Amino acid sequence: MNNEQFQSFLDRHGADLGRWPEAERAAAERLIASDRQARQAFEAARRLDAALARHLQAQATDAAAAARVLTQLGGELPRQKMPLWRLPVVLLNWQFAPAWPRLAALGACAVIGFAIGITGLDRRIDRLDGQSAAASSAGIGPLVFEPEELTGARP
Amino acid sequence: MDDSDEALMARVARGDERAFRELARRHVPAMLGLARRILGNATDAEDVAQEAMLRVWTHAPRWQPLALLRTWLSRVVVNLCLDRKRRAAWVELEAAGEIVDPAPLAGESAEAAERERLLAAAIADLPARQRAAIVLSYTEGMSNAQVAEILDTTVSAVETLLVRGKQNLRRTLATVIDGDKEK
Repeated sequence: MNNEQFQSFLDRHGADLGRWPEAERAAAERLIASDRQARQAFEAARRLDAALARHLQAQATDAAAAARVLTQLGGELPRQKMPLWRLPVVLLNWQFAPAWPRLAALGACAVIGFAIGITGLDRRIDRLDGQSAAASSAGIGPLVFEPEELTGARP
Repeated sequence: MDDSDEALMARVARGDERAFRELARRHVPAMLGLARRILGNATDAEDVAQEAMLRVWTHAPRWQPLALLRTWLSRVVVNLCLDRKRRAAWVELEAAGEIVDPAPLAGESAEAAERERLLAAAIADLPARQRAAIVLSYTEGMSNAQVAEILDTTVSAVETLLVRGKQNLRRTLATVIDGDKEK
């Protein structure tokens, strides 16, 4: 490890060698012991670390500011955003109590309709529809296609 | 009853306001401190902490416990701070001086007070992401991997931020660091 690499490691991991990767720690300790420039860089990094830690820790949060934020959060909260994959769960948890009679009526109608279709109770209605259609077409035909009595012209 | 963060979040996801207020009471002070160190401004920090907690409430039903709540919350706070920094200009030098707690400086010499002021100004002058990386590394005691997770980047990118940030600080603070040496 040379001095440039040592400075780079100091910047990346700080002057606390305990936070360095194991592989580089031993090389750094050897460099500090043997090289004056490395020792100076190490001392400068320690002073910078101490100044930063002292300064940043001094900006501790005051209790009054935290209390103000908590008071603001104590008011009415906005609506939560619901993901689509939770919709089935929401529907299962839905309170249907007031609508139960209507739902029961709807279900009964569906069951009755299904039973009529399956048992063939609707066949007679089909047949009646067919007969009435034939009768109506026979009645209209002569009026539409017969030649006119006076001129003999066909429509 | 399980009162871990994850259990509280599960209750918040079901719309439990009491669980949300317990989470807020637990995390607001730390998130406020983090925002204040990154922004260098107490008022903005309060806004960010409040907004971050409201996001916890609104997004709780979508939250997946893939990471610790504290890590996720820190990421929300850092992103809100970076957004705010992108929108607004950096804190003025005078304002940066005001964020230093005056209590420990009261009995010290004017020279020490001046050193602290220069330090505050130098940190305030750092680009936002460099400053965020340094704050997370020095005050939250996080490893570079944890910082990378919060900044949503790679470990090597975090290390680059730290190297550049410290180079900037060394350039600006040569006299301050030397002053500490002489003490």
